[in-house]
Amino acid sequence: MKRQLGVLGLTLMMLVVLDLAVAGILHLAETRGAVTSLVRFFEYGRSVPGKLDRWIENPGLKDSLFKVAWLPAEMDKSAQRFRDEDAGAGPVLRSYGMSFSGRILNGAKKADPELSFDLHGGPAAPPNLVYEAFLRDQPNRRSGDIAILGLLSSSVSAMSAMSNRTWNFEQPAPLTYPVFHLDDANTVEGGLRAVHPLVESMADELALREDPQAAQDWAAQLEAEDALYVKAAFYWPGLDASPFVRLVRRALAISTIQDRKRELIQNTQDYDYPEVLRRMIGQFARSARADGLIPVVFLIQSRQQGDPDLLAIARPVLDADDIVYFATTEHFDPQDSSGFQPDGHYTRTVDAMFGEALIGTFERAGIRYRK
Amino acid sequence: MLFTELRFWAFFAIVSWLYVVLPHRWQNRMLLVASYVFYGAWDWRFLGLIVFSTVVDYLIGIRLGAEDDTRRRKILVSTSLAVNLGLLGVFKYFGFFADSFQALLAMAGLEAGPITLSIVLPVGISFYTFQTLSYTIDIYRRDLKPTRDFLDFALFVAFFPQLVAGPIERARNLLPNIALPRTLSWDAVGRGAVLCLLGLIKKVVIADAIAPSVNAVYANPSPSGLDIAFATWLFAIQIYCDFSGYTDIARGVAKMLGFRLMRNFAQPYFAADPQEFWRRWHISLSTWLRDYLYISLGGNRGGRWFTYRNLMATMVLGGLWHGAAWNFVLWGLYQGGLLSAHRAFAGRHDRVGEGQRRSLGSWLWRLLAVGAFFQVVCYGWLLFRAQSFAQIVEFTSRLLGGGDRAYLSMSMPSVPFAALLGLVFLTMWDLLVEMTGDVQFYRNCYLPLRAALYAGMIYLLAFGSTSASSAFIYFQF
Repeated sequence: MKRQLGVLGLTLMMLVVLDLAVAGILHLAETRGAVTSLVRFFEYGRSVPGKLDRWIENPGLKDSLFKVAWLPAEMDKSAQRFRDEDAGAGPVLRSYGMSFSGRILNGAKKADPELSFDLHGGPAAPPNLVYEAFLRDQPNRRSGDIAILGLLSSSVSAMSAMSNRTWNFEQPAPLTYPVFHLDDANTVEGGLRAVHPLVESMADELALREDPQAAQDWAAQLEAEDALYVKAAFYWPGLDASPFVRLVRRALAISTIQDRKRELIQNTQDYDYPEVLRRMIGQFARSARADGLIPVVFLIQSRQQGDPDLLAIARPVLDADDIVYFATTEHFDPQDSSGFQPDGHYTRTVDAMFGEALIGTFERAGIRYRK
Repeated sequence: MLFTELRFWAFFAIVSWLYVVLPHRWQNRMLLVASYVFYGAWDWRFLGLIVFSTVVDYLIGIRLGAEDDTRRRKILVSTSLAVNLGLLGVFKYFGFFADSFQALLAMAGLEAGPITLSIVLPVGISFYTFQTLSYTIDIYRRDLKPTRDFLDFALFVAFFPQLVAGPIERARNLLPNIALPRTLSWDAVGRGAVLCLLGLIKKVVIADAIAPSVNAVYANPSPSGLDIAFATWLFAIQIYCDFSGYTDIARGVAKMLGFRLMRNFAQPYFAADPQEFWRRWHISLSTWLRDYLYISLGGNRGGRWFTYRNLMATMVLGGLWHGAAWNFVLWGLYQGGLLSAHRAFAGRHDRVGEGQRRSLGSWLWRLLAVGAFFQVVCYGWLLFRAQSFAQIVEFTSRLLGGGDRAYLSMSMPSVPFAALLGLVFLTMWDLLVEMTGDVQFYRNCYLPLRAALYAGMIYLLAFGSTSASSAFIYFQF
């Protein structure tokens, strides 16, 4: 037994030595500005508060997502762009979505340079962020424009989350958005009841540092209302000093979040996301039409296996409300990995093909998309 | 409950604590309850199947042991075969045969209504069924005396570390280990822990990280030839790491409890021919098939053509054991064909090998043979992994240069760096085992070096544990 305990003790000692050596190498690499993918790999394991602190303390960091896509700021920018627009320049495609929808529109613009569009949204935006952005942008609508609601299959599992910080552990952009629940009593227009986050803007987020009670309330709200909140991602940020702990945290947080996402997609009893999605689409179309806009829905199926089939979910409401849609699966098989970049986006060639197909969709539907 | 989940290790911690404080007889009872809890965590409805199989084979074993009449002995062993294979037939093969029968009728221009029942495949049924069958057959052959202790026998059938994916233990190995008091030692705990660590690295760092790349290509309707080649090489690594990783953890967990489970893999990709491969791959199944099927069919006693027939029949049934699908049948045919072909040409090959065994030339020849045979094995894995016969034809054609996509264009998602690091580690590990002939070569190392190796393994496991864990491939069999 003594010998075995000796081996165990020595192993733990070696583990500490190894951890210190790795920490030293990472520190050296960072101070010399050699931020390799290996250094980033270890950075990904920091706790969410640890990452946010690092971004706040070092605003110049290239990988910082702290300022990205906060809704109030996005809406201010949208209002500014709207004011600057030439109202007589012809219809504008007002797209609410994420990089995927922006890339499709860029492809369409290449096919027809006269097309003009305006992008709103955030990184890997889940449908609740996209829908909320559309609702908040209501003052910036002009009759005859085209409103695009971009839905991404891999983000559907995050529909019951309040912030990218809970479900995108490696890149936890802190932007926030409401979670929508079915309102079967039909007291709210569209049949969806929103639970808004206590933190809505970057200023709110920064203010938490001065107000421990508000920080506690916000943490409590995330734990209670955000289905993808995982303690392993948030607790004991002090342990971030150890690269080994960061690796363990990363493994734990990512696998727990992925398990939760899978559970949310497979089990709709607790959160009926297909019905929530259908109501979002229905209300989006009604609201857009009421303001004289033409509603179009983008159904973007990403590469990930196990994603819900967006077209199958949305089909009933698209047919019933006669909504024009553009489904990527009708133009490219998402199982064909040759159509994807390593970062998960479609390749430029596929995006260009989507762009041309989108213009074809507009033409077939008789939608005037340019002057 | 997966070996890669924290809740399994919490479960194992509780079992270990109870195990240490209980006397031997109670240890076995507790292990039986724990094994049923472990299995029930998958699907409690199937517990009845294990208990049924256990009761039937226990009673038949006792009757067989007491019976001298040959005819009655035959009836008893046939009953055991009928019950166990019947369970397999209903739960595993009913849908397959019903669908195939329907397709056959359709080919003859006849229409049949749907005859498929919605039957769920119970996890591990192929493993425990073969294990209990070996018990009654051994008693029938008078190679084994039946146990009178029902609880011991029940634990033999349901012992949780190897219940769902083997190794398929023989009663003559495991039953005495259950019946006699076991010695617990820190040394065994240490060796078991290293096995678990190695198994977790294989499964989590390598197999799970490789899986998305393989899946993407096999789900792709038009991959390039190079995509298929890489994905199939990777699948060879994935299935080895997945299955041998499970076995390592099973053996490690059992070792910590004082049990010795058989070795199931012996560096199979260092094999240079099919016979050697099957001595190294899934040893508990290949020896089971040899002892209870191949030999029962007559083995190599009836001349060359009978031997080939027996090899083909054994391997086809071995293929079908893996799953109720035609690609497994095809894989079995392929393996049977390889073994038969090897048998036909083995004499000359062996003579060449023997004459050059110690020369540099023989090493180079061996290296070449191992490399070439690995490609042959990989084609077998393509048959195994394919989702349909049409995909086998399509992928084979693309491998040979057909298809609409440039052969050398690659679209397979890249493999994570940690998996590559794990692969380098595993290759070194397997090479050292192969060269030293000692699975515990590391125990001869200088103590600080050993501790550094363990620390490195723990760090590697943490480094590579980022992909979501998936079920072990062999659970579906």
